[in-house]
Amino acid sequence: MATSLPLPGQAHRVRPVTPASALARRMLTLLIVHGVLIAGAMFILLPFVWMVVTSIKSPPEIFAVDFSLWPKHFNGVENYGNALSKVPLLRFALNGVIVCGVILVVQVLVAVPCAYALAKLRFPGRTTMFALVLLGLCIPIQVPALPLYMGLARLGLLNTYFAIMMPFFLSVFAIFLFRQFFRSYPDEIIHAARLDGMSEFEIVWRIVVPSAWPAIAAFSVFSLVAHWNDLYWPLIVISDTHLATPPLGMMFFADAESGSNYGALTAAATVLTAPLVIAFLIARRRFIQGITMTGIK
Amino acid sequence: MTAAAAVATSATLPPRNRQQLIERLAGCGFAFPAFALLLLIDIIPLAVLLYLSFTDYQLGALDTHFLGLDNFAKALADPVFRRSITNTFVYVAIVLPLAVGLGLLIAVLLHGRKRTRSFYEVVYFLPVTSTLIAMATVWQFLLHPSLGPINGMLRTVGVHEIAFLSEPAYVLPTLAAIGIWHLVGFNMVLFLAGLSAIPRDLYEAAEIDGCRGGIDRFLTITWPLLGPTTMFVIVTTSITAFKVFDTVAVMTRGGPMGSSEVLLYAIYLEGYQYFHMGYAAALTLVFLVFVLLFSILQTFVLDRRVHY
Amino acid sequence: MKRMATALGSILLAAIVMATGARAEVVTLDVLYAFPAFAKFHEPIAQEFMKRHPDIRIQYRAPAPTYDDGHQTMMREAVTNQLPDVYYSGFHLLTELTHTLEKRKQIVDLGPLLAAEGAEFRKANYSDRILALGKVDGKLYGLPFNASTPIMMYNADLVKKAGGDPDHMPDTWDGIMALAKKIKASGGADVAGIAYNVNDWPDVWLYHAMILQAGGTVVDGKSVPLGGPDLGVKVLDRFRNFVSEAGMPLINWDQSRQQFIAGRIGIFFDTPARLRQVTDLIGDKFTLRSATFPIDNKAKGGLPTGGNAALITTHDAKKQKAAWEFIKFETGPEAQKIVVETTGYLPTNLRAPGSEFLGPFYDKNPNFRTVALQMERSVPWQGYPGGNSVRIWRAQREIITSVMRGDIAPKAGYDQLMKETATLMH
Repeated sequence: MATSLPLPGQAHRVRPVTPASALARRMLTLLIVHGVLIAGAMFILLPFVWMVVTSIKSPPEIFAVDFSLWPKHFNGVENYGNALSKVPLLRFALNGVIVCGVILVVQVLVAVPCAYALAKLRFPGRTTMFALVLLGLCIPIQVPALPLYMGLARLGLLNTYFAIMMPFFLSVFAIFLFRQFFRSYPDEIIHAARLDGMSEFEIVWRIVVPSAWPAIAAFSVFSLVAHWNDLYWPLIVISDTHLATPPLGMMFFADAESGSNYGALTAAATVLTAPLVIAFLIARRRFIQGITMTGIK
Repeated sequence: MTAAAAVATSATLPPRNRQQLIERLAGCGFAFPAFALLLLIDIIPLAVLLYLSFTDYQLGALDTHFLGLDNFAKALADPVFRRSITNTFVYVAIVLPLAVGLGLLIAVLLHGRKRTRSFYEVVYFLPVTSTLIAMATVWQFLLHPSLGPINGMLRTVGVHEIAFLSEPAYVLPTLAAIGIWHLVGFNMVLFLAGLSAIPRDLYEAAEIDGCRGGIDRFLTITWPLLGPTTMFVIVTTSITAFKVFDTVAVMTRGGPMGSSEVLLYAIYLEGYQYFHMGYAAALTLVFLVFVLLFSILQTFVLDRRVHY
Repeated sequence: MKRMATALGSILLAAIVMATGARAEVVTLDVLYAFPAFAKFHEPIAQEFMKRHPDIRIQYRAPAPTYDDGHQTMMREAVTNQLPDVYYSGFHLLTELTHTLEKRKQIVDLGPLLAAEGAEFRKANYSDRILALGKVDGKLYGLPFNASTPIMMYNADLVKKAGGDPDHMPDTWDGIMALAKKIKASGGADVAGIAYNVNDWPDVWLYHAMILQAGGTVVDGKSVPLGGPDLGVKVLDRFRNFVSEAGMPLINWDQSRQQFIAGRIGIFFDTPARLRQVTDLIGDKFTLRSATFPIDNKAKGGLPTGGNAALITTHDAKKQKAAWEFIKFETGPEAQKIVVETTGYLPTNLRAPGSEFLGPFYDKNPNFRTVALQMERSVPWQGYPGGNSVRIWRAQREIITSVMRGDIAPKAGYDQLMKETATLMH
């Protein structure tokens, strides 16, 4: 690894630093940094603010010309009540948890060894496998949907949790992501472990994985979010509402023909988004723990 | 060669060859489950698709006819399809640099914060968790030419109001902005993961060596070591951008006048609204070839540059 | 001994009776519909039906997002033998679905079932115009469940401000245009006189409505005159005038509806299915009124009818009987009352508007009655021959939007329409 750092005394011009100018510089930097972050945050939050505000407004106030943030007629109880009672929203959330949880576990179990192999091991077919992984990344779920549907129908597996989860057991995204991380893992440590008599299997799970913890935590959140919000595939294989995932719940309040009950819709959306935010917060904490564990390399 | 026999023979081989053999076996074994799933979920359906693309299959039809390469010839000459290719490329060209650049910027800015970091991380990640069904209405209202606050702001600044979703010239940039809104938090998390994998002692060593200032540190240490992550973010962002579908399907339905008809939406129309499954299969293959070439190119070019 | 035998015998008899009684089966019907939000009337109707028929259970499958998705699902399920027992097909897709299912013998001809109920029953409950909507090749395959024709909604306050009379709206298009222009002039900044969202409508409905109301012909056997050169151009001209003279905003239909709800559009044309939603969202911001669609040709003018019809797609004889009872109930006055109150649709049952059913509701909510007043103008909504209707509409819509933007002249637009349509019909 060759990074070139200027040695002390070389062409690097050192400016005299006074406490006052250092403080001024720090203040200015902080100002700019937070300025940018806050401006971005406003752009990001604008739709959410409107969504939550709509979920507590009464219908006539939602599309009023005199747009105000606080509703004149607080309708939150009714909207959220509607959202939770008219539709088995909590059941959908439970299905979401089951489906996303199992998918994630299988994805990680399949992806980690494969990524390690692609990153660190020389084996026949390695380049082909990587190209196939890339190919997989390009394929949206709409492509294999019809053949998979017919296959599952033949096997009598439609309308089951398995049917919803199966196409996602393989996450080429995870393989690609973990491969990138494993690639930068120092080879010397792996050699040392081999000399110590560790099997490749142990090396993967005991040594390399803990260092990729931030990546695994990041991936977990993506996987959970993507499959929680997935509408397209569950709609094809599920005909029993008891197995439906969260987005179907929201569709009950919105459609192109009779329009939307905007209050209940945004209430349902808020309720169903909350678990994802919580999952993110939990993952973040493990993320940071993971870093403190491995930061001293 | 059974595993036992392999081990037996390997025990008599010199250590380096034995190591190579173990590597090979482990590699194949580790990659096998993924490979099997790939076959089942992607390769076989692709083969089915390939077969369909040579026919005029319509969903529910009892008989189909073999058409050879007619569907492909039709696709390459189809002005609607060609328009969708252009639209998609424009969309990707806008989304890619901004989603990657802004994601990186936010991650770098956040990496140094301690107290405010979790607040900003959650805020920037929120769009990733949003469901389009609910968000679509929100965006339509926010972007409304006379009712929406965004145009309200434009009017106070003295600018003429813009029909973001209804002016052919503005619709793709608007959808791109929404796409970026959705992706920035995603890329930010990836970059943060990459940044946190850079050992802190490197920074300390650099500082001792006279490396001062944020930008200097960034260029000397952060950027090179972020290489693999950056490559990953670029490739996945461009693939995600190519696959844009949901926002078009829900908000503009390809309009106005086809100016937001992107590749996947055009394919969806052919297959699921006009029911020309055979033709849609051919279009899908053309789409896949495009995206695959693009990403293989990116990967192998960038891979060489970041490998150290 | 004899007493014991009698006792045993009666116990045995009782046991047999109970066993057969317990096997008085409950038939379960698997039902699929489109538009999940319709649960708001499907569920209560099913509850009511199950109360009256304890031996029939209604089970709903996860609803399809739109008619097209439902159609897709049916096609897939026809191939894999997973069809539901009852399905509600959009009228515009009925022909195609029926042809496919008929070839596979997976759909029931409802004609004989209706005939078995007797002529009196039919005459009392269903008008011929309504039944025509569910007929394919002369046979009745679907019993119309939801029906709608476009109606005119308007902001009574803006109309009054412009000098118009909300109780006597013009019933010709020239009259409406004049009023719209006045509304735009007097309404203030950002107020549009009219909105007729043909430029963003998902299907040909609003376009055909303008042609049919003038007595024009859209489809004539294998040819598609689109109203003919005179009317065809006049229609496009009219569309352009909405924008250039009455200030119609060229935005998508959701945004347009939002603007009307906010009180910034005078006259708004829409599907009555949205009436409930629009009424609730307006609240008391202004007085919402509705009137029948203006008809230029009072003798021959018609309106395309949207909506869906109930089909029976099961082979099981017991289920077929149960399904017939169910869809009879659904198209009966009590069920139609529930549908109208929650949406605004046209009731497909002749007895529904009567005083024991919808009468009081209509009196309290006169806007909902409007669509029933134009029931006799309903004509079946035709697709373009050749099976490429959806694609043809998309191409037509682009040309119509160009005309409305002023990019091309109405005459040139009509020529392009004819050309494109002819090309795509092959």
